[in-house]
Amino acid sequence: MVSVALCMLFLPLLSALVTLLFLRKNGSFASLLSVCTSGAILIMALSLIFDRNADTLAWDTTWFQLGGWELRFGFLIDAPCRLLLFVVAFVGFLIHVFSLGYMGDDSARPRYFGGLSIFMFSMLGITLADNLIMIFVFWELVGFSSYLLIAHYFKTDESANASRKAFIVNRIGDFGFLIGIILTYWVYGTVNLNELADLADFSPSLATTTLCLLLACGFIGKSAQFPLHVWLPDAMAGPTPVSALIHAATMVAAGVYLLIRIDFLFTEDALGLIAFMGALMGLYAGFCALVQRDIKKILAYSTLSQLGYMAAAFGMGAPGLALFHLTTHAFFKALMFLGSGSVIYACHHEQDIFKYGGLRKRMPLTAITFLIGVFAISGVNFFSGYFSKDAILLWAYNFNLPVFILLYAGAILTSIYMFRLYFVSFEGESRSEYAQGAKENSILMTGPLILLGILSIFGGYFSIYPIELGSFLRADLSISDALPNHMWMVVLGTIAWVVGLLFSRLTYSRVSNSDPLSKGLPAFFEICQSRLFFDEIYHFFISKIYDPFCRFLEVMELLFISGLMVRGSAGLAALLSMLSKLCYSGRMHTYVFWFLLGTVGFLIYSSGLINQ
Amino acid sequence: MTSVDFLFWIFAILSVGGGVCMVFSKHPVSAAMFMIVSLVGVAALFVLLEAFFLAVLQVLVYAGAVMVLFLFIIMLLDVGPNASKQKITHLKTGMIGITGSLLLISTLIFIVENGGGTSNFVHSELPMQATNSLEFSTNISAFGYGLMTKYMLPIQISGFMLLASMIGVIILSKRSSPHDDA
Amino acid sequence: MLTITPYHFLILSILLVGVGFLGLLIRRNILLMLMSLELMLNGINIALITFSRVGNNLDGSIFVFFIMTVAAAEVAVGLALLVALFKKRKSVLSDDMALLKN
Repeated sequence: MVSVALCMLFLPLLSALVTLLFLRKNGSFASLLSVCTSGAILIMALSLIFDRNADTLAWDTTWFQLGGWELRFGFLIDAPCRLLLFVVAFVGFLIHVFSLGYMGDDSARPRYFGGLSIFMFSMLGITLADNLIMIFVFWELVGFSSYLLIAHYFKTDESANASRKAFIVNRIGDFGFLIGIILTYWVYGTVNLNELADLADFSPSLATTTLCLLLACGFIGKSAQFPLHVWLPDAMAGPTPVSALIHAATMVAAGVYLLIRIDFLFTEDALGLIAFMGALMGLYAGFCALVQRDIKKILAYSTLSQLGYMAAAFGMGAPGLALFHLTTHAFFKALMFLGSGSVIYACHHEQDIFKYGGLRKRMPLTAITFLIGVFAISGVNFFSGYFSKDAILLWAYNFNLPVFILLYAGAILTSIYMFRLYFVSFEGESRSEYAQGAKENSILMTGPLILLGILSIFGGYFSIYPIELGSFLRADLSISDALPNHMWMVVLGTIAWVVGLLFSRLTYSRVSNSDPLSKGLPAFFEICQSRLFFDEIYHFFISKIYDPFCRFLEVMELLFISGLMVRGSAGLAALLSMLSKLCYSGRMHTYVFWFLLGTVGFLIYSSGLINQ
Repeated sequence: MTSVDFLFWIFAILSVGGGVCMVFSKHPVSAAMFMIVSLVGVAALFVLLEAFFLAVLQVLVYAGAVMVLFLFIIMLLDVGPNASKQKITHLKTGMIGITGSLLLISTLIFIVENGGGTSNFVHSELPMQATNSLEFSTNISAFGYGLMTKYMLPIQISGFMLLASMIGVIILSKRSSPHDDA
Repeated sequence: MLTITPYHFLILSILLVGVGFLGLLIRRNILLMLMSLELMLNGINIALITFSRVGNNLDGSIFVFFIMTVAAAEVAVGLALLVALFKKRKSVLSDDMALLKN
C-alpha cells in the first residue's frame, strides 16, 4: 500500500528525469513516455482509492534531522485525499492524451512533457502529504512547474513576463504561508496534520487567528484570490492543456485542498473573512469575464469566480461542499478548457471569440461537449454543477445572507458570460476565414472531451460515488439536504440560469466584430474592463514606493552592513575617515570653526555640566 | 534708581552695542570706530568697579595703541567694503555662528547660575603659601607692591615676551628680498 | 531698576564674550576676526575685575594687567603676520587663504 503510493509519487519524477537526460531531442518518444506514466499513475491511484484495507492510511518516515528536530516525510490518505487523487489522476491522464494531439506539431515537446511530469509529481505530493512542511515543499514545486510550463513559448515577451508574474505573486502568498507554518510549529509544537487535529483547540485567540490567516495566505496566492489574483489571467499565455490542467482543475484547487486539510485550525473570525472575500471574488471575476474577448481569459476569470465559490463554501463551515464543488469544477472546467483548446487548434491559434462564429456546424462534437460544460457551470438543473452550486447557495441562504446575495449575483453573471461565450463562438455566422475553415480534430483531442462531458453530466450524482470517494462529501451534503428552503433555492437557481440564457441570446446571438455591450452600456463596459485597476495599482506601488525604498535599503546595507559589520574595523575606519574628510576643507575658516566649537565643547565637559 | 545704576546701564549698552555693531558692520574702518566706542565703554565700567588704574590703562593701551595700530593696518592694506563681498557669505555660516555663540553664552550662564559647576578634573591641594591674597584697594601703590612681590616672575616673563614680540614684528615687516613688491 | 549686583557684570561679560565669539565665527576678514578676539578679551577682563572687587582680592586686577600686556603684544605680532601674508595673497579674506584645499 505504502509502496504503491511511493511508486505513484516518484514515477513522474523518474519520467521527467529520463526525458531531461535522454530524450531531449526525441519529441514523440518523450510524449509517449509521459502519457504512459500518467496512465500508470491513474491505475495506481485507483488501486489506492479502492483498497479495502484501511479507511485512512497514515505512514511517515524521517527525512532528515537537524539537531533535536526532525523533518518527516509521510502520507495521509483519508477521504478528501482519495477524492482529489481521483480528480488529479483522471483529469491529468485525459489532458496528457489531449496534449498528444494539441502539441503534435510543437517543436519543444520534450520540455513540455517533462514539465507536465514534474507537475504531476508535485501535485501528487501535495495530495498525499501529511505534514505542513512537506506540503510547502511540494507547493513550491508546483509553483515552479507552473512557471516552467507558462513560459513554454518563452520567445514571446508576454509568456516570459506572465510566468515571472505568476511565480512572484505566488511567492508572496508562500511567504505568508511559511510564516504561518513557523507560527504553527511555535504554537502547537508540531506540523503533522494528524497531531494538529488532536491538538487544535477551538478557543480563538490572536495567535490562532493569525496562524490560520497566514496559512490561508498560501491559499490566496495559489488559488488567486484577492489581492493576489492578478497572475491567473496572464498565465493564459501558456499552452491550452497547461491552462486546463494547472490553472483550472488542479493547481488552483490545491489552495482549496490545503484549506480543507487544515480546517480544524480555523477560528470563527477567519472563516467569516474567507467566506466574505471568496464571495466578493466570485462577483468581481464575473464582471471582469463579461467584457473579455480572449476565450482563455474568459475561462480564467470564470475559474477565479468558482474558486471564490469554493472559498465561500469553506468559510461557511462546509469543507465537504467546497471539495464537492472542486470536483465538479475540475470536470467541467477542464472540459471547457480542452474544448477551447480544440477550437484554438482548429482556428490556427486564434483566441479572440469575436473572430469565431458558426463553429457549431463545423465542429459539432466540440460544440456539444462545450455546451454541456456551459450548462454545468451555469447550474442548469441535473447537471453536475447544479448539485454543487445548489448546495452552496442553500447553505449560504440559511447561514449567511450577505454572502448568499453576492454568490447569487455571481451565479447570474456566470450564466450570462458563459452563454455569451457559447453564442459568440459557436452560433451565428463565421467571422473570419479561419473559422470558416475549421474542422473537427482527431480522436486524441475529442476523446477526452467526450469523457469529461459524460462526467460533467453525471458527476453530480454523488450517490453513485463509491463509498471511498464520497464519504467526506456525504457528511456535509446530508446536512444541506436537510436544510429548509430547498424548493425556493431550486426555483432561484433555475431563474438564474434561465435569465442568463435569455439575456445572452438576446444580446449576443447576432454580433459582428465588436461587443454589443460596449455600445449599449459604455460606462459599465469601461468599468468592467478596467478590472478595478489592480495591475496598475500594483505597478505603481512597485515602481514608485517599493523601488526607492529598496534602493535606500541597498545604500544602508552597503554603508553599514558591508562596510561596518562585514569589513569590521576596516569598515569602521573607512566610515570615520569619510566623516572626518568633511572637516578637512582647505579653507582656513573651517579650521577656525572647529577650533572654537571644540573649545566650547571642552568647556561644557570640563565644567561638569553634563553630569549635573 | 541710583546714579550708579544709570551709569552702568548706559555704559553696558554702549559696550555691548558697540561690539554688536562692530561684528555686523560692512566697512572695516567703521568696525574699528565701533570697537573704540566699545572699549571706552568697558573702561567706564572699570571705573564703576573702582579699578581706576586699569581703566586708564585700558584707554591708553587698548583704545589708544591697539586700535590705532588696527586702523593703521586697515589704511595700509586699503581694505575697502568691497573686499568682503557680503557680511555673511553663506546662510550656513550664519546658522552655525549663531548656534555656536548661543551655545557658548548659555553654557557660561549655566555655569554662573550653578555656582561654577564641578570640575571633571582632579585638582590637588594648593600649597599654603599660594593662597595668600592681596587686599583689594584702589591704590596704584598696592598694584605696584603686588606686581613686584607676588607677581615678580610674571613681570619678568612678560618683559621677555614683549621683547620677543618686538623683534618678531621688526623681522616680519622687513622686506624679505630686494625685488619683493610691498 | 534694581541695584546692580555682580551678576549683572557677569552677564555683561558673558554677552561680550558671546558677541566676540559670534564675530569670530562669522567674519571672513582677518582684521575683523582679530578685533572680535579683542572684544572677547575685554569681556573676560570685566569678569575678572568683578571677581576681584567682590572677592576683595587684588589678584584679579593684576591678572587683568597681564592680559592687557599680552593682548597688546599679540595684536602687534598678529597684524605683522597679516601684512606679510597680504604681500603674498593680496587679500585679507580667509577664503583666499585656502592653499591646503583639495
